[in-house]
Amino acid sequence: MFKRFIFLFCFWSFSCQEAEYNLDNPFDPANMDLVPPALFFHPPKINTSLGQVVSVELYGLELDSAAAAHLKVKYDWGRLKYEYITPNEFFTGINNPVEIIIQEEGLLDIYIYYLPDMQSSQNEGGTWSLASIYFTAIAIGESDLEYDPVITILRDSNNDPVLINEFGMGKINID
Amino acid sequence: MNLVGLCFAAEVTKTVSLTTGKNLAVLRFEGWGISDPLTDFLTEEFRSTIRELEIFQVQDRGITNEINIFYPRKKDYWACWSQECVLDLGRRLNVNYIIAGNIQKKDGDEFLINGRLFSVDMETMLNEFAMNSSGITDSLLLEMKKMAYNVSGLPIPDTLSVGSDTSQVVTTGDLNRKNSWSKLPPIPSKIKALMMSTVLPGSGQLWAQKKYPGYGFMGTEATLATAALVAYIQYKRSWGDFEDNYDAYQDGSDPHDLISLRPRVIQYAEDTRRYNAFMRNIRSVGASIWIVNMVHAYLAAPNDDFFDGEYFFDLEYRPDVNQFQFKFNF
Repeated sequence: MFKRFIFLFCFWSFSCQEAEYNLDNPFDPANMDLVPPALFFHPPKINTSLGQVVSVELYGLELDSAAAAHLKVKYDWGRLKYEYITPNEFFTGINNPVEIIIQEEGLLDIYIYYLPDMQSSQNEGGTWSLASIYFTAIAIGESDLEYDPVITILRDSNNDPVLINEFGMGKINID
Repeated sequence: MNLVGLCFAAEVTKTVSLTTGKNLAVLRFEGWGISDPLTDFLTEEFRSTIRELEIFQVQDRGITNEINIFYPRKKDYWACWSQECVLDLGRRLNVNYIIAGNIQKKDGDEFLINGRLFSVDMETMLNEFAMNSSGITDSLLLEMKKMAYNVSGLPIPDTLSVGSDTSQVVTTGDLNRKNSWSKLPPIPSKIKALMMSTVLPGSGQLWAQKKYPGYGFMGTEATLATAALVAYIQYKRSWGDFEDNYDAYQDGSDPHDLISLRPRVIQYAEDTRRYNAFMRNIRSVGASIWIVNMVHAYLAAPNDDFFDGEYFFDLEYRPDVNQFQFKFNF
């Protein structure tokens, strides 16, 4: 009886905490000032040191369904040495995607294809990583990472272009 | 202005009792093994106690005893213990209720008091009372007083045995064993009901035999408490989800995860606010009803005959102005 009374008293007298929050995570696409659908680099700024291998993700924000992509990325080839690329979730279905990389001096042409299966011939779209690029820092300084907005394009299974409103930039700082 | 004036004139306001308008006659108790004067005295004590409780309008002894002219066997009401006889007398006395009873002396100092309450209007016996008393005359007085409470449908105050009437010194065996230093000061019934309803809403009313308001307050508070408990459980669940998602959002670095965590954080925060606001509203309503319940318990509880002080406040009906008035006493 006494315990019940104590419980009743606490129940009536306690004050519940109000939920306070601050959605300021810098990696949150909502904080990147991008108009979706968009492509951006994640993370947008990387600090590394000479000789280190760094990876940067080519990320899509609220993209529509797509079956293939041609991504042209510019970088400072005097400071960064391209190593390799791995395709990520965006074009991964039941089958792993096919990627073709053409590297020139400071330019990367990345072709990624969704491999159709019995259920679908393209992905479902959304906010996903398309691929990761690995660089080795070879000189001190700062290198910008940019998409070539003219060349870069995504296409759906009907070979129609997929809308991309904006392209984000990236930066790698080498100490 | 008139009302304010009446309120401040509380000290001089005559207290008007809330009577039911029910006329009651108490027939002279039949005494077996006890003297006639003592039987008369006990009957009159019983009669006056019921009158003081203000539940019934008790007919005066002189009028009631006029039935002797209707009943040839003087003082022999024992024969008038049956329903037909008592109801016949009740009709002759023009009352709504009538009580007949007897006091029997058993072995030693033991007495058995029997009483029956009849409704003349409904032509039926409403209640029958029996009490044992072991002791002398004072104990019999006490038992008669208790029976008066029973007849009036009121709870017998715990402190009845330490009443202010010095003629009613407790002499029963059990009470004699109590040490005088251990007796607490008597708590008036109204204060007792107030305290009970403060702890558990409706309990004071139930104690004062006001069952419907008692169960009403208790049920209302229980319903509100249940609703608040459900809201609290929902709140706790939402709060847990909010914390989990918000922590994941703050520590996360994958945009895909963050973009799905963001709306969840907002949604769970909104849920916690909604449940919190709901609980606050329930608390406000519950607290208000709780206070009303406390005041009601104070007003609904019976007056104590041993308590001759003034209450802090009282609600009374004044028929001359046809108004209820709230009185403060300082």
